[in-house]
Amino acid sequence: MQLPIQINEQSAEPLYFQIEVQLRALIVSGQLAEGTLLPSIREMASSLKCSVITVRRVYTDLENEGLLRTRQGTGTYVASVDEHERDRHRLAAVIGAIEEAVIAGKRAQCSIEELDDLFEEAVKKHYE
Amino acid sequence: MMTAVELKGVVNRKANFELGPIDLAMPAGCITAIVGPNGCGKSTTFRMMLDLEKPDAGSIKVLDHVMGSGNDTELKQRIGYLAEKPRIGDDHMRASDKAAFYQRWYANWDGNRYRELLKLMEINDNGKLGKMSKGMRRKFELALSLSHAPELLLLDEPSSGLDPLAWKTMIDLLHQYMDSGDRTIVMTSHIVEEVKRLADYIVFMSDGRVLGMYEKDELFSNWQTMFISGAGLTAELAGGMPGQYAVEYAGGTTFKVVTSKASEAEAWREEQGLTLVSRQMLTLDEILEALVLKERKGLRFNDVRGVRV
Repeated sequence: MQLPIQINEQSAEPLYFQIEVQLRALIVSGQLAEGTLLPSIREMASSLKCSVITVRRVYTDLENEGLLRTRQGTGTYVASVDEHERDRHRLAAVIGAIEEAVIAGKRAQCSIEELDDLFEEAVKKHYE
Repeated sequence: MMTAVELKGVVNRKANFELGPIDLAMPAGCITAIVGPNGCGKSTTFRMMLDLEKPDAGSIKVLDHVMGSGNDTELKQRIGYLAEKPRIGDDHMRASDKAAFYQRWYANWDGNRYRELLKLMEINDNGKLGKMSKGMRRKFELALSLSHAPELLLLDEPSSGLDPLAWKTMIDLLHQYMDSGDRTIVMTSHIVEEVKRLADYIVFMSDGRVLGMYEKDELFSNWQTMFISGAGLTAELAGGMPGQYAVEYAGGTTFKVVTSKASEAEAWREEQGLTLVSRQMLTLDEILEALVLKERKGLRFNDVRGVRV
């Protein structure tokens, strides 16, 4: 299985972090269903051209967050993410994105009213 | 993590070359690539790991066996070795005869695996070894080194002479070989892309010394070229960047600085109130070049004073 994870070599963000963010999003969004067997550490490392140390770190971090579980000898699976947890993760990504948008607005010296209008416009554009 | 190969204070003296002292610990379950200019001592190090050459000082442990102590027949069953050059003495041999010879020596030789490897790499083992093309012979020797499912694979310039398709097959094969997670590869390579695709750890060697061993992803994220600019910035100020290896004037108030400590350098830049114009990752050969240059400069400096560190 080839996961849709992309690496930006010019990014200042460390490799493990880039992979972790994307894999977490795939799990909490439900694109990777509960019980899905993930590629082995070596397979994942070879498809992303990174070291097994990096992949091991990502798997361990997400395991500690309860998103993955490893069964000795068989591999690493997507764990069951309960609704509450899923919501928390789901919204965490959205909150982060909105905050970034607000920071960008502030940098461009927008007023609060302007930002409100822009937000409303964006919602209308995508929801109606 | 367990150590598959360990070198402690290893020295090897030849008429006009001194290797070492080398201290290295290569972890099991990982691929470690040794990278360095021609004649840096990679192949000698490999030969010592197999006890084909004795160190003048120090000790080497391979899969928990102290090399040079007692019978190593059993140990050698657990190792696959691809030498840098084919044995000229084998030229008259039919490839299939060499395979039969290997089969006699390796109790765990797997005939099915051997035939599968021949098929995968499109090798015909009917012909004489001396008549094979360089690439074909390389593929055949690689198949031999893998056919007894060794725990440790020592590959000396594995891809020399391979065409791009055969090269890709080899990369896939080696990834498959490592998939179980408990096997180890130690290899040397001149091919940047090969190291990038395969290695977990990279060891740099030059002039018989080890310049350092690094986890691959950390190495690449730490080494960067940063273009920084700021009013009144001078080469001397720019040279104060942590991990600085080289400073070059880049026009206006901009300087190009190579650093081996990117995150510290980034913090320093902010502290100094300098602007980051752009940043680039270094390639493996650029990192090697920077390390070698520094080592050689250091050597010259110390030689003048009559001290060799």
